[in-house]
Amino acid sequence: MMTRSACRLSLAAVLAASVALPAMAQNTITGDTVGPANAPKTLTFRMTTDGPRNNDPDVAEGYGKLFREYVARHPGWKVELQMMSGDIGQEQARMLEQAKSGNAPDCAAVDSFVLPLFKKAGVLQSFSPYFKKEEIEQLFPFIREGITGTDGQIYAWWWSTDLRVLYRNKKVIAEAPQTWDDTRKAALASVKEGMEGILFNGGRFEGTTFDWLANFWAQGGKLVDDAGKPIFGEGENRAKFIKAVNYYRDLVESGAAPKRVATIGNYDDFNAAAAAGTTALFVGGNWQLAQLKSTLEAEDFANWTFSMLPGPTGAERSTGTGGWTVASLSKDPAKVEMCANLAREIYMGPANALQEQLPTRADLYDKYPVFATEANKAFAAALKVGQARPGAPVYPEISNQIQIMMGKVLTGSQPTEAAVDDAFKASMDAFKRL
Amino acid sequence: MPPAIASSAVPRAAALPNRRQRPRVAPWLMPLILVLGLFYLYPVLDVFRLALTRATLLGGDEGYTVSTLTQTLARPELPGILGVTALFTLASVFSQQLLGLAIALVVVRGEKRRLFGTTIVRTTALIAWVVPGIAGGIIWKMLFNEAPFGGLNSILRLMGAAPVQWLSDPDLVMWSVVISNVWRGTAFSMVVMYAALKAIDPVLYEAAAVDGASAPQRLMHVTLPQLRSAILVNMILITIQTLNTFDAIISLTGGGPGRSTEVLSLYTFNVVFRNYDLAGGAVLSILMLVISLGLALVYAAFLPKGEDR
Amino acid sequence: MSAKTRERIGDLFSYLFMLATFVFFAWPLLWLLSLALRTRKEVFLGVSRFIPKAPTLENFAMILSSDKFAGYLWNALKLSCLSALGCLIVALPAAYAFSRFRFRGKGAWMMALLSVQMISPLVIMVPLYRYMASIGLTDSHFGATMVYIALAVPMVTWILKGTIDGIPAALDEAAMIDGCNRLGVFLRVVLPLSTPGIASAFIISVIGGWSQFLVPFLLITKESLTPIGVGIFQYAGTQNDSSIQLLAAACLVSVVPAIVAFLALQRLILGALTAGAVKG
Repeated sequence: MMTRSACRLSLAAVLAASVALPAMAQNTITGDTVGPANAPKTLTFRMTTDGPRNNDPDVAEGYGKLFREYVARHPGWKVELQMMSGDIGQEQARMLEQAKSGNAPDCAAVDSFVLPLFKKAGVLQSFSPYFKKEEIEQLFPFIREGITGTDGQIYAWWWSTDLRVLYRNKKVIAEAPQTWDDTRKAALASVKEGMEGILFNGGRFEGTTFDWLANFWAQGGKLVDDAGKPIFGEGENRAKFIKAVNYYRDLVESGAAPKRVATIGNYDDFNAAAAAGTTALFVGGNWQLAQLKSTLEAEDFANWTFSMLPGPTGAERSTGTGGWTVASLSKDPAKVEMCANLAREIYMGPANALQEQLPTRADLYDKYPVFATEANKAFAAALKVGQARPGAPVYPEISNQIQIMMGKVLTGSQPTEAAVDDAFKASMDAFKRL
Repeated sequence: MPPAIASSAVPRAAALPNRRQRPRVAPWLMPLILVLGLFYLYPVLDVFRLALTRATLLGGDEGYTVSTLTQTLARPELPGILGVTALFTLASVFSQQLLGLAIALVVVRGEKRRLFGTTIVRTTALIAWVVPGIAGGIIWKMLFNEAPFGGLNSILRLMGAAPVQWLSDPDLVMWSVVISNVWRGTAFSMVVMYAALKAIDPVLYEAAAVDGASAPQRLMHVTLPQLRSAILVNMILITIQTLNTFDAIISLTGGGPGRSTEVLSLYTFNVVFRNYDLAGGAVLSILMLVISLGLALVYAAFLPKGEDR
Repeated sequence: MSAKTRERIGDLFSYLFMLATFVFFAWPLLWLLSLALRTRKEVFLGVSRFIPKAPTLENFAMILSSDKFAGYLWNALKLSCLSALGCLIVALPAAYAFSRFRFRGKGAWMMALLSVQMISPLVIMVPLYRYMASIGLTDSHFGATMVYIALAVPMVTWILKGTIDGIPAALDEAAMIDGCNRLGVFLRVVLPLSTPGIASAFIISVIGGWSQFLVPFLLITKESLTPIGVGIFQYAGTQNDSSIQLLAAACLVSVVPAIVAFLALQRLILGALTAGAVKG
C-alpha cells in the first residue's frame, strides 16, 4: 500500500533526522540541565518561552549564554529546566497542587496577574533578603505594589512589562485620536475608504478585559476595593463602567467597528488585518510593533505608528500593564537565594535587552541602548499612566464576567446596564465563595 | 463459509446438561477491578467527598457542608448552560453517528467494488481525529474568521455570496462549533461502525441477494438491524465523550460570544480553573455524571433484548 | 435498469460522497500545512494568505532536529502502546464474562463501569494528582500508563463486549464439548474470531493515549519523560513570541506515528476476516 510505506518512510526520516542533526549553536541549551552534571545542588526552574527554549534561534542562543554564565558564577549548582504550557489557568492550578504536595519547581516564571493568588495561597518565599533596597526602589510604583505582600516583603521579581496602545495607518488616519469621540470619527472615516474600521479584542479572552479596562481606569474607576471586594457595579464606579462599555458598544453599533470584534480573542488577528490592508486602526500591545515590522513590507510599515490609548477626554488616559515575574516556591533558603540571583542576573536587564521587552525599572531604559529608540521612549512615556490589574484573588472571575458581558453587549443581545449588573452580581457571588 | 455458520448446526441441547454449571465470574473481572480500584477509584470517590466541602485550589476550608451543592445547582446561569450543552451534544452525537456510519458504509462498498480512494478518505478523517486539539482550534478559527479574508468567507466572496457571521452571530455560532467538533470526532464512530460492518455475516447478504433485495432494502433489512447494538453502544460512548469535550470550543470561541457556546464541561473548567472552586467543580461533574447516566440508560433501553444472556 | 447500471450509478454516488467527505476533512488540514510551511514573518499574515509566498521546510527541520522531539514521540509511543496493550489484557476477559456469563446485576455492573468514565476527568485530575503524589507515582511512566488504562478501559470493555456478542455462543459450547475449558475457549475460539473488534479497540485506545493531555501534564514534569501531547506546547509560544508555524509543523509530525499504527492495524481488521472465510 502506497500510503503505508510512505508513512513508514517518513517516520524513519523523523527518527533518523533527529539523531543525525547536531545541535545548532554552541550556546544553545539542549538537555534538561545547565551546568556540571555532578554539581551537588540543583535548582529546578520552570519557564515560559522567555528562556533558552525560545523558538527564535538567536534569542534561544542569547538565553543559553546568560544561563551558562549564571551557572558558572555559582559553582556547585546546576539548573534543571522545565517548560510550562501556554494555558495560564491550568499551569497555575498545576503549580499550586504541586506546591502542596512538595513537588513544585524551586523557581518559576509567574504571570504578574496570578501573583496575588500565589501570594494568597502562601506558596511563595520572600525575596526581600536578596534584593537591595535601592533595587526595589527603582521599580515603577505599580510594579512594586504588585510584588509586595501584606507583610511588606516582596515575593517575586517582576522583570518585564507591556502596555496597550492604539495603532494606526497614517495614510488613512493622519492625526492620532485623543478621545473616544475622535476614535469613532477616525474609524468611520476609515470605513468610508473601504476598511473594516477599528479592531479590538472582544471575545472570551483575557485580553478583551485587559485592553478595555484602560477606558474604565481612565475615568478613575475601580474594580475592587482595598479588601479585594468587587465594587465596579456600585455607585460612581457603575456609571463609569457603563460609560466605558457603551463606548465599545457604540463603536460596533455605529459601524465604526465590525461585528467580528466580538469573536477576536488573539492579538495576532490584528497583524493579519494590517497585513491584508483591511484595517487602519486597532488596539494592540507594544510587542506588536516588532511583529508588524517583520510582517509588513518596509514601505507599508512606514505608514504604521501608534499613540496612547484615547480616553473619554484628552486628559483622562490610561493603559493596562502586564508582564512576567520570577518567584521561588522552595522551602530551602539556599535555593530561594539562587532563584533571586537568577532573577537578577538573567532577567533583570539582560533578558529585557535581549528580547526588547520593556524593563520595570526606570534606570534600565538608559542603561541599554535598545531602549533609546523613539518607539521605546514613547512606550516608556505611556507607561506613566499604566495600571496593572488589581491584585485581588477574585480578579480572574471578574475578568471572565467582563468577557461574557462584552459578548452580550457587542452582539446586541442584552442592554448594557443589565449585562453589567449581571456581571457584577456574578463577581460578587464568586467573591463570597472565595 | 465462516466458522460461525458452520458450527451453528451443532445441537445446542447436547452442551447444556453437564456444562452449564455457573461459571465463576470473579476471576474474569479481577484484572479490571484491580486496575480501576487501585488507580482510579480513590480519586472518583474523592470527587464525591469534595462535592460536600468548600475546598478550593488555594487550599481552604475542608469542613463538610451541603451548601456547595445547593449553591452550585442554584446558580442563575446553569439552566442556560444546560440548554447549550443539550443542543451541542444532540447535534454533535447525531451528526457524528450519521456521518461515521455513512463513511463506513461507503468505504466498505468501495473496498468491495475496488473503488479508488477509500483509504485516502478513511485516513484523512483519521488524521483529523489524531491532530492535537489545539491545532484543530487554530485551523477552524482561521476558517471561520469573519474578516474579509477569512477562510470560508473569502470563498463565499469569490462565489459572489454574502459573508456569514460564523462566530459573531449568537444563533449561528453553535452550528459552527458543532461542525468543528464533528470534523474532529467522526473518525471514532467511523472506526467502530467499520469494524461492526466487517463483522456482519456475508451469508446474510448472499441470502438477501437470492431474494432479489435492492441496495436500499439490504440496508434497511440486513445492515441496520445487524448494526443496532453497535450503533447504540457507539451512541452511548460518543455521548459521554461529547459531554466531556471542551477543547475544541475553548480554542474556537472560548464559550462566547457571551455564553452562547459555553457547555457544561467548559463551564466546569472555568469554575475550577478560574474560580479555583474545586468543590463547585466536583458538584458540576457529578451533575454531568447524572446526565450521562440518564442518557446511557435511555439508549440501553433500546438495546436488543436477549443481550442479558 | 440492469444490475450493472445500478452498480455504476452506485459507484458514481460513492465517488461523490467520498469527494465531499475528503474535502470536508482535508481542507482544514491543508490550512495547517499552509501554516507549517510559513516563515516567522509570514505567520502573522494569519488567514489572509493561504499559499505561502516563500514556503519553507525550516519549521519541520527545526522540529526534527530538536533533541527533545524524538524523545516526546518515543514517550508518547511507549505510553500509548503499553497502555493500549494493558487495556486489552484487562478488558478482554471482562468483556468475555459480560458477554457470556449470566450473573446478578450484570447490566448494573456494566453501567457502573461506564459511569467511571462519565465523571469529568477534568475534576478527577486534582484528587488523582494528590493520590498519585502520595503513593509516589508521579514522574513515572508506570503511573501514567496505569491511569491511561483506567481512563480507557470502560469504553474498550464495552466495545469488546459488543464484538464478542457477535460471535455465536454455540461456538463456545461446541468447543467445550470437544474438551476445552472456559479459558481454552476464550483463548482459542473467541480471541481469534474477535480480531476486527480487538484491532479497532486497540486503535481507539492507542489514539486515546496519544492525545492525552491532562494526565501527563499533571503527572509528569521531567522533560525527558514528557509525551508529545504535552511536549507540543513547547512550541506554542506566548503572545509576544508567536510561533504558530512551529506548532503547526509539530502537530503534523506528531500525527504520523498514529497514522502508521492505524494503517498497519487496518490490515489486521481486513486480514482477520479473509482468513476466517478461508478457514470456514
